Amino acid sequence: MNNGSSSTMHGPDQPEISGPAPAPKSLRTKMGKPEDSEKKIFHKKLKDVEISVPIVYGNIAFWLGKKANEYQSHKWTVYVRGATNEDLGVVIKRAVFQLHSSFNNPTRVVESPPFELSECGWGEFEIAITLFFHSDVCDKPLNLFHHLKLYPADESGPMSTKKPVVVESYDEIVFPEPSEAFLARVQNQPAVVVPRLPAGVALPPPVPVEDPSNRKRGDTKDHPLCQWFTNFSEADELLRLATARQQVQTHIAKFRREITLLEGQHQQVNSVSDQ
Amino acid sequence: MFPRELSSPIYPHQPTSTVIVILLLHCTQCFFLPCRLAFCNRESRTSRCLVVSPKQTPKLLGEIAMDAKDILGLSKTSHPASQEKKSRTVKESQRKPDGISREVYALIGGVPPLMPAVEPLQLKKRPPTDEKITWQWLPFTSSARKDNLQLFHWVRVVNGVPPMGDYSFAKYNKSVDVVKYTDEEYEKHLTDDMWTKEETDQLFELCQQFDLRFIVIADRFPSSRTVEELKERYYKVSRSILIARAAASPGDVSEHPIVKEPYKFTQERDRKRALSMVLSQTKHQERKDSEVLAEAKRIAESRMAARNAKESELPITFNVERAIVPSETLSPSSNSEFPSAMVAPSTSMAENTSTLASLRMLRVYLRTYALDQMIQAASSSAGLRTIKRVEQSLQELGVNLKPRVPTKSVCAQHLELRKEILTLLNLQKQLQYKEAEGSSYRDSPYETPGTPKDRTFVPESTSFGGDVLGERVGKRDQKRKAPGRAEAPSSPAQPKRPRKLRASDM
Repeated sequence: MNNGSSSTMHGPDQPEISGPAPAPKSLRTKMGKPEDSEKKIFHKKLKDVEISVPIVYGNIAFWLGKKANEYQSHKWTVYVRGATNEDLGVVIKRAVFQLHSSFNNPTRVVESPPFELSECGWGEFEIAITLFFHSDVCDKPLNLFHHLKLYPADESGPMSTKKPVVVESYDEIVFPEPSEAFLARVQNQPAVVVPRLPAGVALPPPVPVEDPSNRKRGDTKDHPLCQWFTNFSEADELLRLATARQQVQTHIAKFRREITLLEGQHQQVNSVSDQ
Repeated sequence: MFPRELSSPIYPHQPTSTVIVILLLHCTQCFFLPCRLAFCNRESRTSRCLVVSPKQTPKLLGEIAMDAKDILGLSKTSHPASQEKKSRTVKESQRKPDGISREVYALIGGVPPLMPAVEPLQLKKRPPTDEKITWQWLPFTSSARKDNLQLFHWVRVVNGVPPMGDYSFAKYNKSVDVVKYTDEEYEKHLTDDMWTKEETDQLFELCQQFDLRFIVIADRFPSSRTVEELKERYYKVSRSILIARAAASPGDVSEHPIVKEPYKFTQERDRKRALSMVLSQTKHQERKDSEVLAEAKRIAESRMAARNAKESELPITFNVERAIVPSETLSPSSNSEFPSAMVAPSTSMAENTSTLASLRMLRVYLRTYALDQMIQAASSSAGLRTIKRVEQSLQELGVNLKPRVPTKSVCAQHLELRKEILTLLNLQKQLQYKEAEGSSYRDSPYETPGTPKDRTFVPESTSFGGDVLGERVGKRDQKRKAPGRAEAPSSPAQPKRPRKLRASDM
């Protein structure tokens, strides 16, 4: 799906690897130079290699119970975290949360991970989250939209201050043509899914974008709310999809058989009527 | 007779049958006060007139008024006399104009104005100047005139000193510097086949006279030459003279506008012609032109888009070394401007690659967005109904319409599943058509072929049943109402077809 080369064009039974199996000649020739200035690394892009960052974004809302008043009935936190709770700061430089205009300073900027924002309020509205990436990653920001949920879906249950309302969405940020610098830098970062590189491609040593000693822990593994985080696993979905596909394929085969049978019958009838 | 005694018998004792009419007539003596009263009792048909002396009238009237009010049932509490007095004073205090008489005040509205008027005193105020201003009729000369004509006009003289300086309008006397050439210069640089010296001299004289207003010059020119011809001659001469005079230092004049951009005769002529054509266009023509332009723009844009897609696909084709079929079909499909006109398999590939190309352009995107784009591209050939059926099938299969965990592999599988469902639906439709065809072959010409629905051959929507994991294919066969056509025609369960066949066999 990601590469436009030959692999996706042959039927559905493709091994799902990110890089093409044979090493393209053009890339090999490109890699001939061992010495590259830093700027060149920044801009040189690798084709057919795609980097994806699995993220989960959403909100957790607690009802304030006795302390609730008309305008502040819930305390909520909206956030963007790594799907496996790893540190997203290697990719994301800052996150901008655009709140409803009734909040003062509705544009909230979060400069360091964990990229989250907590507020008190009473209303549900759509929050626009804009993610800005580091300079070697991508110069264009990415927009996410999340509808803030405070009230539980079934209104019959009593509201409890202990059990929050949690709405999370899984998605993946895809960089179709990452620069070499980016690739080199995130090679061993757990937050990022880096595919197996084509054989013969050598990466220059990584250049850190910021001083590693300054950064605090940005992962959410021990986040105070981590007990409410959803664990997204693709296994269940893959299973359902595989079964469904099998069913459909069987039906297709059956229909094809029936069609050929009918065509045979038509020919028979034609030959009969010709007599 | 004293009126008081009469007051009581005024009341009727049979109210139902009597009507009391109280007539108040103006007193002939004092006019304002009604003091003659007449009571008419119908029954008795007598009219009683009560004549009252004017002196007693107010009091009596008050009493009689009270009595009348009693009869009529009106309230007696109000004191009209005092009320009138009160309102009168209130009104009069409101109506107090200041400075203008009451009637005039009433004329302009009777209420104070909304805005304060500009006091006439303010307008005439001027600071008392120390200067003594007089106006004198004095002669003057203008530097713009060359003939020493003396004219007169009014001059504002301050303290006996008339103003200095040139005539104030002389500064507007501007003229153009028309080039002047000598005869030698003419001989050397300016001879031309089309123009005689006389004509050129005439032209330059007119130019000087009319400040290069070529329309006027063309009108005045003795021989009929067009404006463009005159302009061309003039500018050519000026240019040549300038260059010739500055032969020593050509760099100086190169900045002069006529040297930098000489007059182009043909260009000007065409430009003016085009302009006049545009100006004289009819509305119909205008509309047509705008349509054509819009069409051209659209075509150009689609060409640009196709070219961009082609450019981004070029690296892909470079990477593939082997000359395999897909790449060959790829290049022609991307080269054409309208890939949808292609055969189905290459169309899907073209759509796929163009979607990929556009995604690549984005540099960063969300997996869900990419999936949506691919789904759209894949179902671009399908109508809305088909798409709904695909979604219905997905639901029946227990698959989320939008994957809950959209990883790379999940998205790929989801897309493939959708494509397969589309194929399945197409096959189903094909089968139905084949079946309809088949029935038209077999049935007599007078019998209309039944639609597949009648035969309940294949259910309208392919039902996948509820249990996704444990369903067997055989189960589905049993659900059908009519026996499947896939079975051999010789099966005895078949109702119509075998009979027909047997008939034709005979």
